Amino acid sequence: MEPLERPVVNDGYTGHLRFAAALFATNLKASLAQRAAFAMQVLFMIVNNMVFFIFWWALMNRVDTIRGWRIGDIQVLFGIVAASVGLAGAVTGGVRHLGRLIDNGELDTLLTQPRPVLPYAVGLRMQPSGLGDVISGVAFILWSGQVSWREWPAVALAVSGSAVVFVACGVAFFSLAFWLGPIESVARQLWDLLITFSLYPEPLFGGLLRFALFTILPAGFVGYVPADLVRDPTLGRASELVLASAVYLALAIGIFNRGLRRYTSGSRFGTFG
Amino acid sequence: MTGRAGKYTAFLRISFAQARRARGELYGRVVFFVVILGVFSSLWTAVAEAGMPLAVEPRAMVWYLAITEWIVLSAPPMHFDIQEAVRRGDIVCQLGRPVSWVGAVFAEGLGLLIARAPLLFATACLCAAIFTGWVPPLRVLMVVAPLGIAACALVMALWIGIGLLAFWLGDVGPVSWVWQKLMFVFGGLLMPIDLYPAFVRGIAPFTPFPTVLSRPASLLLHENGGEAAALVLSLAGWGTVTAVTLAFLFRRAAAALTVNGG
Repeated sequence: MEPLERPVVNDGYTGHLRFAAALFATNLKASLAQRAAFAMQVLFMIVNNMVFFIFWWALMNRVDTIRGWRIGDIQVLFGIVAASVGLAGAVTGGVRHLGRLIDNGELDTLLTQPRPVLPYAVGLRMQPSGLGDVISGVAFILWSGQVSWREWPAVALAVSGSAVVFVACGVAFFSLAFWLGPIESVARQLWDLLITFSLYPEPLFGGLLRFALFTILPAGFVGYVPADLVRDPTLGRASELVLASAVYLALAIGIFNRGLRRYTSGSRFGTFG
Repeated sequence: MTGRAGKYTAFLRISFAQARRARGELYGRVVFFVVILGVFSSLWTAVAEAGMPLAVEPRAMVWYLAITEWIVLSAPPMHFDIQEAVRRGDIVCQLGRPVSWVGAVFAEGLGLLIARAPLLFATACLCAAIFTGWVPPLRVLMVVAPLGIAACALVMALWIGIGLLAFWLGDVGPVSWVWQKLMFVFGGLLMPIDLYPAFVRGIAPFTPFPTVLSRPASLLLHENGGEAAALVLSLAGWGTVTAVTLAFLFRRAAAALTVNGG
């Protein structure tokens, strides 16, 4: 017997974008319903990032450069990573819950909807703290003094590309739950490692580790390449980032869809939202 | 007295057994620890190349970081468990038990700590030895280990205090991020407090953070028996302050508790 085809609305990229925008608007309204909690998350994330940067500020007050990196370079790197991680959290906050959804069989509700499962699952939630990351990220980039208004299109491309790679990695890591079951904490730690590596100057890493940072744990495309693009925008760097984003996104979608074929229902009644 | 201690020991044993079963998370922490130490080993090598005047050698800095990171990673973040218990309303069932709820949470945390700390300490020493090719005198490590575990317990108690704020705030995530970063800076997680600007050095002694992070780790940098004794007193003092604060917070929290649903 042929398996039943799941009817999915296919109204092209503009339709998907409209759907994503509607999900974001709904999440934003839900978050704003608790204004004090929303404001606190945004504000405290900004404070969090500023306090963490005291370390770099104190360190770079004592040395001019670390393997050629000045404080301004680190501010750009920090700003790009904060803004992209924040953008990812604000728009696709559901990635962090993907492993649990898969392992608990909670994708059932999404499978009954006439929309592709992955965008729906990742867009289900929003992390208000992500907006705090975006604000502090932009503040770090401005503070660096390395970016004039002419570079802002490059900043937008760098943050978007970095966010796409970051989200793609999250989808890939958490999708391992299709094969390995309860791997949420391990996937989360892998994702945190990606952020950790992205926040330190590239020349600190060499050899095999450097190779890993441009392949299996692509901190290079979350932090270093986008930061290079902002500091020195060239068509080559822009193409490199766009290509890497497309490849990692395609890989993540492929892994998720392959896993979805193995997905078995949790047979449990639940609601989502 | 023995009966009361037995109840808390039971909480400790159960959470220890659970932590031993959840090996994935423990191994994840070990991997995270190795990577972090590798990153900082590279960073301090680069800083030394850049000509930063350090009071100690870069290899001692890596050992310092190994100990501070060990304390931070071994202390279980109990605030998330407390937040979940408050959010789900489980707290109501737990409050009815004939034990102190905060004491039970602390005992559970100690169980997790005992399961994690030895493996992470071994990882810290092994990695630091590999990255630096040097091992501090064994007698110093024998002093650092128990004081470090006491510091982990105090860090955990501080996390419980943050968790109790969930009774009022619901979500303690934002407070915990800032608390954690304050601990990193004022505790000297990433570099000794001496290297920070004057305002950080001025504020730090009025917080518990140096007592739980930089002072235990600094025992590796400056071998000094007097400092170890002073640290014991400081841990006892901050432990007392924390215990009194937790008791006060919990009494206020239980009075303010409102549970929805049934």
